[in-house]
Formats: sequence, structure tokens, C-alpha cells
Amino acid sequence: MTAETIIQSLASGLLMGLLYGLIAVGLSLIFGLMNIVNFAHGEFLMLAMYATFFLFTFVMLDPLLSMPFVAAGMFVFGAAIYLLVVRFAMRAKTNVGMVQIFATFGLAIVLRGLAQYFFTPDYRSITHSWLGGKTMSIGGIFLPVPQLVGAGLSIFAFVALYFFIKRTDFGRALEATREDAGAVALVGIDQNRVFALGWGLGSALVGLAGAIMATFFYIYPDVGASFALIAYVVVALGGFGSVFGAFAGGILVGLVEATTALVMPPSLKAVGIYAVYLLVVFIRPRGLFGSI
Amino acid sequence: MTITRRNVLLGGVASAALLTTAARAQAKEVVIGVIYPLSGASAQIGVDAQRAFETAADLINNKYDFDLPLARDEGLPGLGGAKIRLVFADHQADPQKGRAEAERLITQEKVCAIVGTYQSAVAVTVSQICERYQIPFLSADNSSPSLHRRGLKYYFRAAPHDEMFSQAMFDFFDALKKKGQKIETLSLFHEDTIFGTDSANAQLKLAKERGYKVVADIKYRANSPSLTAEVQQLKAADADVLMPSSYTTDGILLVKTMAELGYKPKAIVAQDAGFSEKALYDAVGDKLEGVISRGSFSLDLAAKRPMVGKINEMYSKRSGKDFNDYSSRQFMGLIVMADAINRAKSTEGDKIRQALVATNMPGDHTIMPWKDVKFSAEGQNEDADPVLLQYVGKKFVTIFPPQAAVADAIWPMK
Repeated sequence: MTAETIIQSLASGLLMGLLYGLIAVGLSLIFGLMNIVNFAHGEFLMLAMYATFFLFTFVMLDPLLSMPFVAAGMFVFGAAIYLLVVRFAMRAKTNVGMVQIFATFGLAIVLRGLAQYFFTPDYRSITHSWLGGKTMSIGGIFLPVPQLVGAGLSIFAFVALYFFIKRTDFGRALEATREDAGAVALVGIDQNRVFALGWGLGSALVGLAGAIMATFFYIYPDVGASFALIAYVVVALGGFGSVFGAFAGGILVGLVEATTALVMPPSLKAVGIYAVYLLVVFIRPRGLFGSI
Repeated sequence: MTITRRNVLLGGVASAALLTTAARAQAKEVVIGVIYPLSGASAQIGVDAQRAFETAADLINNKYDFDLPLARDEGLPGLGGAKIRLVFADHQADPQKGRAEAERLITQEKVCAIVGTYQSAVAVTVSQICERYQIPFLSADNSSPSLHRRGLKYYFRAAPHDEMFSQAMFDFFDALKKKGQKIETLSLFHEDTIFGTDSANAQLKLAKERGYKVVADIKYRANSPSLTAEVQQLKAADADVLMPSSYTTDGILLVKTMAELGYKPKAIVAQDAGFSEKALYDAVGDKLEGVISRGSFSLDLAAKRPMVGKINEMYSKRSGKDFNDYSSRQFMGLIVMADAINRAKSTEGDKIRQALVATNMPGDHTIMPWKDVKFSAEGQNEDADPVLLQYVGKKFVTIFPPQAAVADAIWPMK
């Protein structure tokens, strides 16, 4: 094992980790806001990737340009899902947790089925984008451009999100609703509106991740599954509901995954992630940066 | 109520009508179960497979002028012209779902034979269920060698298995070495289910026997979100030949990641699977000029055997794709099974099994480059000769063995 392989592993792990963070933050945001785990999160990612793919194929829009449209589309989609599905699931009087789990879980299966029906199960790829296939080499360390841009985008999104939550009225309403939804209703903030916007925002963030991932990953109806699993670990590791936790959790998962593969057979690299997660559960069950 | 003449007449007509429909349904239909991943990560394979099986059923049920068993007859003449009806089941690449679906096909749909399954891991459970119910199972396109070595009496495979495929690869390496190419080191890259594991075991054994050094043996988790670490190790090993055993998703990611990390192998000789799928070449074909994959089918054959081209047209009308290594084997699988049912003149599992055991189909009555179809005591066709294909100028040409080759191999790849 040379220094070069170690640095390369860490660099690749960091890039992938930042992307994992961006994928996971929407999940964390929604959970923090209303205690609902969106089990269709991976399918949201899949839809964003397909949207990017179709905009590229039919309108010849490069993923870098279509990204804002995809994010905006996902915002509307996420808000609509809240208003049409989740809002009703939350009205359950008994077994509330179960109803919510099955509502989003069922949504995941429906979305996957619809994608297979309308988009066919064929594996799609965006073959010639501005970023796709390009790679940078710095002193023997290879940094693929799409992941590099994705990592930059992730950092930017987290910074923007931080200021959004801390500095805007809606951000404060979001924070307040998270802390005490009942009290917020008393001061005249429409809880439904905040929830819908929260779902929109969370979905727009996963939309950004989907758009950038479409430049280097294959696209098919089940593509979200393995990323969703990682997103759940990222959120649990970083702390449920903590935006910064998703950021740190993503990086941690990326680095652990890369370094596990250095010392163990690559087929076991997921083991490292879950071992670290178990460790965190023992020491700090609410996650590294969890506040609830 | 009094019984008038009219009532009697009406009742008679009604019962006669009922009788005839019942009789018709009984004699004119042979139900065969087809079990594939129709949803989930490999749904694309299953959907393409459906088209291949429908093409085969069309050939069997209707009259075509091809030198293929049952093509010239309508239905199965051995069963009074009975037509084949296919019942498709979805196993989602999950061995347990495969087990349940096989049981459902046998007990509810009353199929008399089952063909499947793409994933070898699913073939394991499906064939066990078939054995228990004494229903013949034919692996159309599973290639794990361990499948036919479990002492099952109702298991059959007309196509080659991975040891035969791997053997062809090493024969090819030996031949290249004789011509003065330097091939000493190999890197294996394989996924972690039965397909990848069996394939790698066969390759490890052959490498040892024939004096090739395996410098990297990398097992990875199927459908990984990232293969960066894996590719780094391949790059560090930098073998003379990279030998992947990967399904489509991982194959695409492997090739992309190799390009991202600046790794250009000298040659790739792939164990089929993802590397014979159109989707992979659509995605990353520009990086794969000169890649070699084993196969059991090649469209080159159409030059020698025109019906191959015509049947391919029938298939591509349905699917929008050419026959590939999988769809061709799926097509042949149903033909072999239907041929046995026809000769058995029965839909009883045991009789069909006996007919399968007695199968003797000459190679030129198939669409494959095989010598013939005959089953060993273990149910394996030992005469199914594999070929090696090279991807040159956006299509595959046969480069090995010499008797089937239409071009010389380009080595190393570009």
C-alpha cells in the first residue's frame, strides 16, 4: 500500500461522501421537521435522475443547465406529495408511525412501478455531457470532474441551507415548527404550508444530487435503492434532523467506505460503515450531531 | 315446472357447448412456466427474455419454413397440434421469490415444465422445487457450473456453463501466447453472488493449471453505489488481462470508474453477463473498443445459416434489439423443451424428463454455434461449444475458436 493509494482512497471517499451528504440532507430535513422518515427518498432521487436524462435526450439540455429546472420540478413534486399523500397519512389516529411508514413505503413501490412501466427497465446513461467522462489528475491522484463538481455543489448547498434556516423568515418558521408545531400554530403560522415547503425543499435538494449523479451513474427504476440505504445510515449517523449532521455523516460514511476497502476485501466495505454506525449507537444513540 | 321440448333442446345445446369448450381447452394447450426477473434491478433482462420466449412460442405454434424443430408444424404434432401457452412469473432476482413463484406455477397454473431464470442463484431454488414436484426445469441461460452437479434428475441445461466458457478463454490465451503475445498476469473482478463466485473459482483453477499468475482477485458487492476502491486495486495490479464477471449495472460503473481513475487495461476478457448487453455498450461503448466477451451466440452465424438472421428479425421486431447471448439462449431453451414435450407425447413430468434425456438435436437445427444438443447424466449439454466475441467498430465479431472465427483478435485492445 503506497501513500498514493491511501491519498487516492481518501480523496475518492471524500468526494463520494459529500455527495452522500447531499443525497441524505433532504431526508434529514423532512424528518427533523415532522418526524417522518420518507421511505421513497431513493425514488425521489431516481425521478430526478430520469428528469435530467429526459431533459438531456429530448431538449438537449446539459445536466449542468437543467439542474435548476430539475430542482424546481422536484420542489413542486415534493410539496405535492406532502399535500396529496403524507398530509392524509398524518391524520391517522392509531398506529400513526405504521401508517406513515407504509404511506411512504407504498409510494416508493408505486413510483418504482410507474417508472418501470413508463420509462421501461432499460439502463440509461447520459453519454456526452459537459462533465461526464472528464477526469483531473493532480500528482497521480485522479479526481473525476463530475464528482468534483458534485462535491462543490454539496458544500454550496449546505452553506446556502445554513443561511436559509438561520437568516430567513421561512427558515425560522421551519426551525420553530420543528421545535414545537403546536405553539407555532398558535402564533399564526400555517403548519401545512411549512410542512409542504419543507417537503419541497428536501426534494429539491435530492433533485440537485440526482441531476449531478445522472452525469456519471447509470439510471434505471431501482437506482435509488442502494443510495437510499446509505442516506438512512448517513442520517442516523449524523443525527436525525440535523442538517449539519447529514453533512458530517455523509463525509464520514464516504471516508469509512473508502478506507475499509483498503484493509478488507472490497465486498465487505459496507461492513465498515455499519460498524461505525453501531459504535455511534452505543456511545451516542441520537447520532453524532443529533439534537432530538 | 313442466319440461317442454324446447327446454330439453335448450339444455342439450347448452351442455353440448360446455362439453366442447372443456374438451378443446384440455387437448389444445400445453402450459409452460417461464420465470424471470420482470421487475427490480435486472427487469430489463426479463422483459427482453419475454420477447425471446414469445418469438419461440410463435415459431412453435405457427408454420414457418425453418430447419428448426417444430417450426414447420402448427403446435406440437405429438400432442395433436396442441399449442404452447407461456405463463410468465417474476422472481425479482430473489431466490426466495423464485421458490414461491415456481411453486405457484406448478400448483396453481399447472405448468408441465419450467424454463428460467437468468440469475443462477434463483435457478438453485427454482430447480429444487421442480425436483420435488417432478417437473422438468431447463436452465436457458444460467451458467454456474455447480447447478448441474447437485444430483437433480429434473435439471437440464442446453447451453455451456462457466467452466466451459472459462476454458475457452484460457485456450484462447494459450493460442495467443504461441503467437508471441505476452500474457502472464490476470486480474479477476467478480460480483458476490453464485454467478461471480463460480466464475472466479473456475478461472482461478484454470489459471493455476495453466501457469498464469492471478495478481488481483477482487470480489465486490453487486449493485454497489461506488467501485472506486475496487478499481484502484485493479489499477495497482495492472495485469495483462482484466477478467470481469459482472451484471450490467456494475459493468457500466466499472468501465466509467476505470476511465475516471485513468486505468486502461491492456485487454479485457469478460464473462458475458453485462458485457453482452446493449445497455452497457450504449452507455460506455466508446471506452470498450476491442473488449472480448465469451458468448454462446453470434449473429455472424447468419452468414452460414440464413435462418439465424430471419429469426433474429422476428425477435427484433418484438423487442427492438438484436439477439444477444442471453435472448438467443432463452429462445433455444424453449425450443429444446417444446421438442421434448412433443416427443414425450405427454405433459407428465416423468415422460418429458425421459424425452429430454433422449434429446439429440443436431447443431445446424439450432440458432447456436453448438455441435448438437444431448444431455449428460447430470443434465448438461457437453457439446455446446462456446465462442469468444470481440467488440470492434460497434459490433461483435467471432474471434475464437478458429473454426467459428470470422476475424483475428485485436490484441491488446485499443
